[in-house]
Formats: sequence, C-alpha cells, structure tokens
Amino acid sequence: MMVNHAQNAQKFLSDKKMAKWHNEALWFVRQKRDNAVKSIDEWEALRQKAKEIKSHTLRYLRYYLQEFEKNAISNGIEVYWASDANECNEIVYKLIKQEDGKKVVKSKSMLTEECGLNPYLEQRGIEVTDTDLGERIVQLANQHPSHIVLPAIHLKKEQISSIFHDKMGTQKGNSDPEYLTKEARKDLRKKFLDADVAITGVNFALAKEGAITVCTNEGNADLGASIPNLHIACMGLEKVIPSAQELGVFTRVLARSATGQAITAYTSHFKKPKPNARLCVVIVDNGRSSMLHSNIFNALSCIRCGACMNTCPVYRRSGGHSYESVVPGPIGSVLNTQKNIDKYASLPFACSLCASCDNVCPVKIDLHNRLYIQRQEAIKHPEFKTKREILKLSAKIMQNPKLFAALMNIYRRVGKYIPNWIINSKYNIWAKHREMPQPAPKSFAQIYKEMQNEQR
Amino acid sequence: MSRDKILSNIGDIIKPLKDIDLDIDRKSFNDKVATFKQMLQVAGGRVVEVNSLDISTIKSYFLKNKNIIDTTKQFTDTQNAISGKEYDITIIEAKFGVAENGAVWIEWNDRYPRSLITLSEALAIILRQDNIYETMQEAYNNIDFEDISYGLFLSGPSKTADIEQSLVFGAHGAVELTIFLI
Ligand code: SF4
Repeated sequence: MMVNHAQNAQKFLSDKKMAKWHNEALWFVRQKRDNAVKSIDEWEALRQKAKEIKSHTLRYLRYYLQEFEKNAISNGIEVYWASDANECNEIVYKLIKQEDGKKVVKSKSMLTEECGLNPYLEQRGIEVTDTDLGERIVQLANQHPSHIVLPAIHLKKEQISSIFHDKMGTQKGNSDPEYLTKEARKDLRKKFLDADVAITGVNFALAKEGAITVCTNEGNADLGASIPNLHIACMGLEKVIPSAQELGVFTRVLARSATGQAITAYTSHFKKPKPNARLCVVIVDNGRSSMLHSNIFNALSCIRCGACMNTCPVYRRSGGHSYESVVPGPIGSVLNTQKNIDKYASLPFACSLCASCDNVCPVKIDLHNRLYIQRQEAIKHPEFKTKREILKLSAKIMQNPKLFAALMNIYRRVGKYIPNWIINSKYNIWAKHREMPQPAPKSFAQIYKEMQNEQR
Repeated sequence: MSRDKILSNIGDIIKPLKDIDLDIDRKSFNDKVATFKQMLQVAGGRVVEVNSLDISTIKSYFLKNKNIIDTTKQFTDTQNAISGKEYDITIIEAKFGVAENGAVWIEWNDRYPRSLITLSEALAIILRQDNIYETMQEAYNNIDFEDISYGLFLSGPSKTADIEQSLVFGAHGAVELTIFLI
C-alpha cells in the first residue's frame, strides 16, 4: 500500500489549533537556529567544509571504515557488522543474552528505530526503556517519534500529563513541564540504576582514534553507558569520519542547526570500554552501501540535525507521522523514496520545491533537487494514473498554441455561465483549496496584438 | 560474512592521498574569557571567579552537609570513599574551556567511575582562565586522544525541552554546573 501523504496531512490539519501550534513551534526552532547562525561570521565556510568532509569520507568510505574497525579493536572495542535490520537485531540480542541481560536502557538512536529493535527485543522478553525524555513520552504513549530531534513535538503538555498520570501515576491535571520532567527523571533514574545493558546511537565514528562520539542534551547516553557492564552502540556505516579533527567542524554546526544551541550539553567520546566492561559497536548497512551507488548518495552525508524539517512548510503543516516513516521531512522523503518507491511514491510530492531545506542543511545536501528528480520516477506509480493522464493531456494542449488558444476562447465565452457548484465541485481536485479563476475578457496574445496595431 | 559483503558492496579500498584541509578564516573574539562566561550562562552554567582555590571556597557555594567527591586529588581532607551510586557534588578539573559555546573538556582515564559525571547532583569544575580556546576547531587541535578512555565536552548542566519546547535543567545528569574560573 502506498503511503498517502496528502490524506495523512489532511487528517493532521483537521485539528486546527494543534496544527497551528505545531507550525509555530517548529518555526520558532528555525528562528533560534537563525540567531545562532548569525553569530558566526564564517558560517557558510563551515557548511562548505562540513560538506567537503562528508563527500571525502563517502568517497573513501571503505578505507575509513576499515581504519575505524582496526583502531577500535585495538582500543578494546568489539566491532560487529550487520547487513540488514534483522541481522542488527540478532547481534544485539545475542550480546544481551551473553550478559544474561533483561533490562536495557536506550538513548536516542534513529538507526534502532529503523531496525525495529525495540519490538524485536520486547518479543524476546527484554525490557527496553527509551531514556531520552521525548522518546520516553512517545514510548509510554505507544507511538513513534514524529521528529528526529524533537520526538514528541506532536504532543501538547496536557496530553503528556495524562500519559504520565496513566503510566507513572503523576498528579492528575498537572501539566507543568518542570514538574513532569522531574517526575520522569525520578522514574528513569531507577531504570538506569537497574539496567544490565545500555544501548546508544552514534553521531560520529572516528576512524583514526577508533572512538565513537555521542551528542545529547540530557546526558542520558553517558548515564546509561556508565553503569552496566555492556554498552552496545549501533551506527549506520555512513557515520564514520576521518578523525577527531573533523569534529571541530561538525560540533560547530550540529547543535546550532538542530536547536539553535552553540553545542549540545554533552559531546562524549567513548574510546575504550570501562574497566572490566564491554563496549560493542554494531556497524549497520541496511541499504546504505547500495545507496552509495545511486544518484542520491549525498543524502548519506546527513548528520540528522532536523533543520530541514523545522523549516519545511509541508512538514510543519503535516506533522512527522504523515510520512509514515522513521525519518520524516525532506531528508526522510529522499531516503524513503530511494529505498521503497512503491510505498513512498507520494513523498517527493510532499514538497513545494521552495528549497528552504537546502539553505539550512549544514552539510548542503541538495534536497529539493533530489525530490524533483525522484518525482520523475514516482509519478509512474499506479496510484497516480489519473494524475499522470491529466498532466499528459494538459502537456499536449499546452504544446499546441492553436489548440490552447481555441480551448481558452471557448472557456472565455462559456466559463462565466458554468455554475459554481460544477466548476468548483469535489471532482475538480485542483479547486480543493482554491477557486477556479474567472477567465479574463481578452487573452494576453490578443491584447498584445491590439497594442501593436495601435502603435502602427 | 556480512563484513566482507558490506565492504565489497561499498567498493574497492582507496587510500586518500592527503588529509582534508580544515582551515577556515575567522575573526578572533575581542575577549574570549568574557565570551566564555557569557556562553556558559546561556547554557545554564554558573561562573565563579576565584584567585586561588581551596575546598572551603568550593564548599561555600553549595548547601551544607553535601557529600563532596574530589577527583582532582587536590583536597586530601574530604576524600570520601565512593560507595553508593548517588553522589552530591563532584569536583573535576577541566583541561580547557571553549569560548564560543561555554563548554569545558574533561578527560577521563577511569581512575574514578564514569558515572560520577552524570549521577552527581552538582558538578564543580575547575578551569584556568589561560586555558580557554576560541572555537571547537582550536579545541580539537589541542586534544591528545592517546591516553583517554572517555572524554567529553560539557556545556552547562543536563537539559531538555521535550515538553512543548520549555527548557528544563536536570533532565538526567547534573542539575547544576559551576565553573570555578582561576
Ligand atoms: S538533511 Fe541536512 S538539514 Fe536535514 S537532517 Fe540531514 S543534515 Fe540536517
């Protein structure tokens, strides 16, 4: 079944108040980003460098991955490779079993969302607690994140308050963010202290140092990883960069683009396991190595800052869930269409081609171009048959000036007599959110000709 | 084996001929210590300027009867055994600070449990004014990863804005972060 983004968006927009809030909240984040960026004169040079580093690394990806593996192993880190989601889940489960683990605390990792790790482990009797507050909220609500940086941005504090009341017994009706955060802290603190295994994501893997870097604001990755004897870090294979030197560029652009902060509160480098403990890194492909050879290979440069979502006029007005994918927004549309065009053919059209995303992207991915190119394929989807035929027909008419003029003349003459309920009926999808224009009395060509005659 | 399949899918192994040129022209800050202090406050941290450091000065900034753990080994009198899993205040010496974002670099070589950093209610961090770099690029140029097992930049206390974008300090880690600037 094809995801119908337009239909999902309509559902989202039916709650007008919420839709307005969502739009404005994300725009506010975009403005914070702008302020942070304005304070750095060399911003554009930084973006350019960030892009160059990523292109360079993707070009020599195999070399850097092998360097990372070699150096990580010599630091005492165990390195595993997974071809797809299932293999990643199997590896993680096996590692947990080796430690006889039952309780896992997990910090934010879009990759494990992509692999469906939580349900996989839960089905096998492992308790997984998402510890990022936003992810914890959606976990308790039995939902999925709607944004990669702000997972619970689709929920209002009153909704969160009632979820917490049901699941954690917080005061009914108390929706003060400070109160709710402190209650979650208390509840999660117990989970941290009880955990047998910590799972984290990876923001950057440093080839030369053989270390991984994880960025959070809450400190949940560090807290999780510092207690149990097993720390498993899952990373997509595109996360590797040559060395810590390049982090000097990425740590300057990541948080500024994401939330408008100068840097995340914690930027942590794990180079060796804790004494007498294990640190395991799982490097996951899941379609990435073939994407490397496609025409959207540069989408693998993404550092998951979320800026393209915050700025996107479509995302802001349709909500993350309308994309029905782990990564929503412009970058999500590009990645998912490439991965499964049958399912995601409507996503390249969830775009106004305004290119605002390209302008904020810290690694300068030409997102709107990619979407434009993907449309050429996506339109071939059987669901778009009618649309395709209509477009073909209009192309034929517009390519033939005489036919076009003749048809317009007819419309000019009879258009004003067609009753409104026909012309703006529900079958005319063009007129769904607008009215058909009334024809002008004369065509431009006609006026032009008349003016020429007068001048003579 | 998945490893070899993945690697051969990526392509041949090509060794890059040279490193990426990372130089970026920029104007220096007028006063990097002032910028550091300002950015730290934005990040929710507290700055205390001191001429010299002794344990009673540090103590005076926190509530009485708090359990203090000193990882710098400067103050022998209060060294507490690290037993339980919850701590009150941990004293750490930062290698350096970064002006553009108010972060401090902390190197850990596992003499103390890593959990001290996140389980402590408050962090008291010692930083020398002379050790402040302007940007993250400068900072990374000055880290030697050789002897580090775990190292992190900390910018203010733990925080979250996951509930309606309202900023709350103390999401999971330290609720308070004080920098004693010498
Ligand atoms: S595509 Fe660019 S803007 Fe969007 S999340 Fe990735 S890095 Fe950020």
